[in-house]
Amino acid sequence: MNVKDLIFELTDSTGIGNIRDAAKTAAKYFAGFCEMTYTDNRGFIAKIKGERDYTLALEAHIDQIGFTVTSVDENGFLTVAACGGIDLRALPARQVVIHGKKEVRGVFCSTPPHLSEKDVTFEKIGDMKIDSCLGKAAKDVISAGDYVTFTGKPFALSGDRVCSKSLDDRAGVAVLIEVANRFKNEKPPVNLAFCLSDMEEIGLRGAKTSAFALSPDEAVAVDVSFGDGPDIKPDKCGKTGRGAMIGISPVLSKQISDKLIKTAKDNGILYQTEIMGDSTGTDADVISVTKSGVKTGLVSIPLRNMHTDCETVSLSDVKSVCDLLYSYVKGGGVNG
Amino acid sequence: MVELIKKLVSLDAVSGDEDAVRDFIIGEISPYCKLSVDPLGNIIACKEGKRTPAKKILLDAHMDEVGLIVTSVTDDGFLRFNVLGGINTSALMFRAVRINGKINGVICGKPIHLISGDEEKKLPQADSLYIDIGAASREEAESIVSPGDRAVMISDFTVEGDKIISKALDDRIGCAILIKLLKEYDEYSFTATFTVQEEVGLRGAKVAAYSVNPDAAIIVESTTAADIADVPADKTVCRLGHGAAISFMDRATVYDREYYNAALASGIPAQSKEAVAGGNNAGSVHLSRGGVRTLAISVPCRYIHTNSSVAALGDVDAAFKLCKYMIEYIADDK
Repeated sequence: MNVKDLIFELTDSTGIGNIRDAAKTAAKYFAGFCEMTYTDNRGFIAKIKGERDYTLALEAHIDQIGFTVTSVDENGFLTVAACGGIDLRALPARQVVIHGKKEVRGVFCSTPPHLSEKDVTFEKIGDMKIDSCLGKAAKDVISAGDYVTFTGKPFALSGDRVCSKSLDDRAGVAVLIEVANRFKNEKPPVNLAFCLSDMEEIGLRGAKTSAFALSPDEAVAVDVSFGDGPDIKPDKCGKTGRGAMIGISPVLSKQISDKLIKTAKDNGILYQTEIMGDSTGTDADVISVTKSGVKTGLVSIPLRNMHTDCETVSLSDVKSVCDLLYSYVKGGGVNG
Repeated sequence: MVELIKKLVSLDAVSGDEDAVRDFIIGEISPYCKLSVDPLGNIIACKEGKRTPAKKILLDAHMDEVGLIVTSVTDDGFLRFNVLGGINTSALMFRAVRINGKINGVICGKPIHLISGDEEKKLPQADSLYIDIGAASREEAESIVSPGDRAVMISDFTVEGDKIISKALDDRIGCAILIKLLKEYDEYSFTATFTVQEEVGLRGAKVAAYSVNPDAAIIVESTTAADIADVPADKTVCRLGHGAAISFMDRATVYDREYYNAALASGIPAQSKEAVAGGNNAGSVHLSRGGVRTLAISVPCRYIHTNSSVAALGDVDAAFKLCKYMIEYIADDK
């Protein structure tokens, strides 16, 4: 499977609110050789039976950041609420797709130069408007509650780096698909569950219910984390192109972190550690406190420009995460 | 017309690097006129009509667009750049760019999660932004780009009913109107100039007007429309869907009053540009040699100087018709 093509296909489908195209796109890669369970929160769980009656869950979120329409005025301008953390300063003159009765291309209003003040400040999303470019006809097509997403077609940068909207966390979804495929014709030592959760960006909600439904013995969340860049402190980010980021945090299982590091070392897989002084801000935070507790780990792909329509990853890092998780499963998980 | 505009905006021509657009325009118009390219790169195209007007008429549109120029490469392989033309920093942040018409990049920045307090509310300085082309080192970056290379913020071309959304509508719309005039209009002779370096100080038009030495000029442009949410009616400047915008005065020019009145009274959809703001090639043309009577016909454009500019096709059509009308008005020396 070509991971780049897979990532491009996944980022090009939409997964927010009631729009489940991304989940459908992902599901077709598991269906056929996995036992599929669709969860009521619009994600799904795909299972592969292993040698041992012990369930290791690999988890990624299928939703993306975006907006939901809160009002439509008579001239075709919309107010929205944000679904996920978004940099307001970068929104003016940014194009979006409004998922109304049909898909409509809109633009965040931008104050023209003759009206802009010198020290303009960006206070809240409620101050910003989207121009639907439909004028009076907007009300026929767009309603409050409709979702709005970024545009941002995927494209390749130099070397093996790619840029797209929604790499957070479709890059993680691609990892799950790739790992599952490696076990298509090879029975894993433990039961494997691939958990694709919804509503991560609005408060780690989907993982809460899917982890409850699944009750795994152990889980590893696969997400993206901050990649390096100019003016970003090195201790706050991973280095793009330097391999899988293995999470270490008080809320994560230390045994799993240690085992992941050992697995990477033993198999010559490029890795780096990501040390967090608190919770991780990922689904791992909620999976770990499901029912009577689940030992949970976190592996991340370094990603630049997080929560924008031009997120960037290195495919070599995606491959390192795939290799690490494959070897970790082959090793039987934390107790193997 | 839409197809022509689409082709024109798909090409990149940041000020001083207009080759791609110039080559395309020459390909389009050469069967219809006598043309030359001057030392700065302006196209001067003479169209012979059925009649020669008493006054020599110039129509001008500029080929260049706002964009970026790469200034240096960092040790980590990121590119520093300067902005060419007036671009708001918002329109730079986290934008996909194309360098030299072919190399992909992205203007990178700190993610929202790593900023707080005042930093979250205020725009960064443009010179704190960098382009990431995916290079992992200075060597890799330098093998792909060089200082002086130009970059644009890319955009899809979207047609939604009467509206178009794209980069570079300023002033490829003007170029498209002039190309169509050269192809279709042959009542009176006129000269069309497709000029360089408008966005960096109206430079190309200065020398082109000198060479053409016209008696009267029509600048075909795109101009700011602020008919958007939360802008009071008296600050909208002009409105999409209400025809071509006609300037009485802007920061660079006091326009010929008679031509201004004639354009508004033509019966073709037109509106007054109700602000003394901005400026265009008229600033250079009307002061050329001993002075040139000058009119500006503009297509209203929301979010101008961004890769998400919005214009209405009906206004483009009105501007095209008004150009023909005003050529005849001036030619007939009413």
